[in-house]
Amino acid sequence: MPKRLFRWQYALVALVFAGLVLLPFSGDAYYTAIFIIIAIHSMLVIGLCLLMGYTGQVSLGHAAFYGMGAFISAILTVTYNWSPWLAMPLAALSTGVIAYLIGLPLLRLRGNYLAMGTLGMGIIFFILFNELDQYTGGPSGLPGVPGLSVGGFSFDTDFRYYYLVWSVCAVMLLVSWNIIRSRTGRALRAIHGSEAASEAVGIDVPQFKIKVFVLSAIFASIAGSLYVHYLSYVSPNPFEFMFSIRLVVMAVIGGLANIWGAVFGTGAVTMMDQHLGTFGELDVILFGLILVLVMIFMPRGLVPGIVGLWEKWKNRRTKAKA
Amino acid sequence: MKDYILSLRNLRRAFGGIVAVADVSLDIEANKIVAIIGPNGAGKTTLFNLITGYYLPTRGEIWFQNKLLNGVSAPKRVEMGIARTFQHILLFPHMTVLENVMTGRHSRSRAGFIEAALRLPRFHREEESITLEATRYLNLVGLGQYAGQEAISMPYGQQKLIAIARALASEPKLLLLDEPGAGLNTMEKRDLTDLLQRIKEMSITIVLVEHDMDMVMRVAEWVIVLDVGRKLAEGTGAQIQRDEKVIAAYLGEDDL
Repeated sequence: MPKRLFRWQYALVALVFAGLVLLPFSGDAYYTAIFIIIAIHSMLVIGLCLLMGYTGQVSLGHAAFYGMGAFISAILTVTYNWSPWLAMPLAALSTGVIAYLIGLPLLRLRGNYLAMGTLGMGIIFFILFNELDQYTGGPSGLPGVPGLSVGGFSFDTDFRYYYLVWSVCAVMLLVSWNIIRSRTGRALRAIHGSEAASEAVGIDVPQFKIKVFVLSAIFASIAGSLYVHYLSYVSPNPFEFMFSIRLVVMAVIGGLANIWGAVFGTGAVTMMDQHLGTFGELDVILFGLILVLVMIFMPRGLVPGIVGLWEKWKNRRTKAKA
Repeated sequence: MKDYILSLRNLRRAFGGIVAVADVSLDIEANKIVAIIGPNGAGKTTLFNLITGYYLPTRGEIWFQNKLLNGVSAPKRVEMGIARTFQHILLFPHMTVLENVMTGRHSRSRAGFIEAALRLPRFHREEESITLEATRYLNLVGLGQYAGQEAISMPYGQQKLIAIARALASEPKLLLLDEPGAGLNTMEKRDLTDLLQRIKEMSITIVLVEHDMDMVMRVAEWVIVLDVGRKLAEGTGAQIQRDEKVIAAYLGEDDL
């Protein structure tokens, strides 16, 4: 790949970063709120990128881990009056353990079978969230989830919560980026390339698969906790299996094998959701159409796709000059 | 007494009713280049898969440096010093040439998720040595200048060399090469022969499965012939060429 391409990628990231930092100062309540949700969803999609884009293991059930984080945080803080700062790590830990136990048998499946297996997992947990109503409140949910505060400082406005969630998201991005560019990251990408060859260089394939699965579940759980403390209410609906599919769409649109693309994909899909709403019933059709177009013209995702278009346009211009 | 690095005792592997490897016993002498030859379906690749732990034997024993390998996992065997290449190369297609070889250092390094995520000092030290060693092995196969290329963009012959560099990066004592010469032109084959000699000088025992008899005769100090899962004969290249059982297996007995 030419070096120039990377420089443009960095420039783009820097520009978006500046935009993100300054956005709440615009005073636009609508976009501030939307971008809080984008940050939370990005955490999920970053984990999915590690799992699907880098390691090549499909999950169509990540809403389950998102829901676990959300419900464990909500139950501990509402029913048992725990501090959210204790509940959140405990939720992440339990979700990690559950993901580990589920992953042991599930990750033995490959390709479409793994997709079906994780889909099943998502559906089962959605049913559990609904049916365990003495804990989860069932379909009507649990109201009164406390907000977050540190010492005397309370994250009680969107302005403040915005910086909280984006900081967490940035930490996850950094952690993932560090992992990708390491022995571990190479092992994950190797597994994607060839499991037989990975074993031949001494990579314990099942172990790495399960670790990245657990990591992505922990990211999802933290996202879930932050989500309920933001909304101060939890119900099973956001964690239904269609949301898992939506997460995959976000990851694919952003460019699966691109950790920065995760945020772009999430942003693009969330914005599309918001603006296609004005077309009423037609939104699903338009959404599908955009998906198909992106997949045809930018099969590697939005970020690599746009960078590619820019390169092409520039090449054509230099050729025209010559 | 000879120093054997690898010994198979009555090794058998059956797939349903088909016996791919039938009670094979053989010894591989350390620091030699040994060729395993035989017609298609002789069980050569299955033998490799048994030695490297991809298949479990139906029965029999595999001894490596006087340690029993049965029950040792495939990654663990790499750590013990057994590396391999594949007939179909199996590079990691979308990683760079250097990254492919760096991945070969996996069993000789330790840093996991946490060290990587937090960029602990050990991570930096280890990463530096991984890069250094991988570059060294890439230079050994003469492809240092292609370090940054995507593996899949490399020509077939060079992909085979990258696979050898990747295997060498794990510092093996025993290197199993599955048809290293297949698909190479005459000049590439000559370079490969030289490379094998250089690898041998690093006190690495080489076992290769190969169909090109010229190359086998030039490079192998010992030749083992398999046929329908059984050991048919073994000896020096010259002995094998004269062996009537071998000639019969290759040409068919009743042809004349």
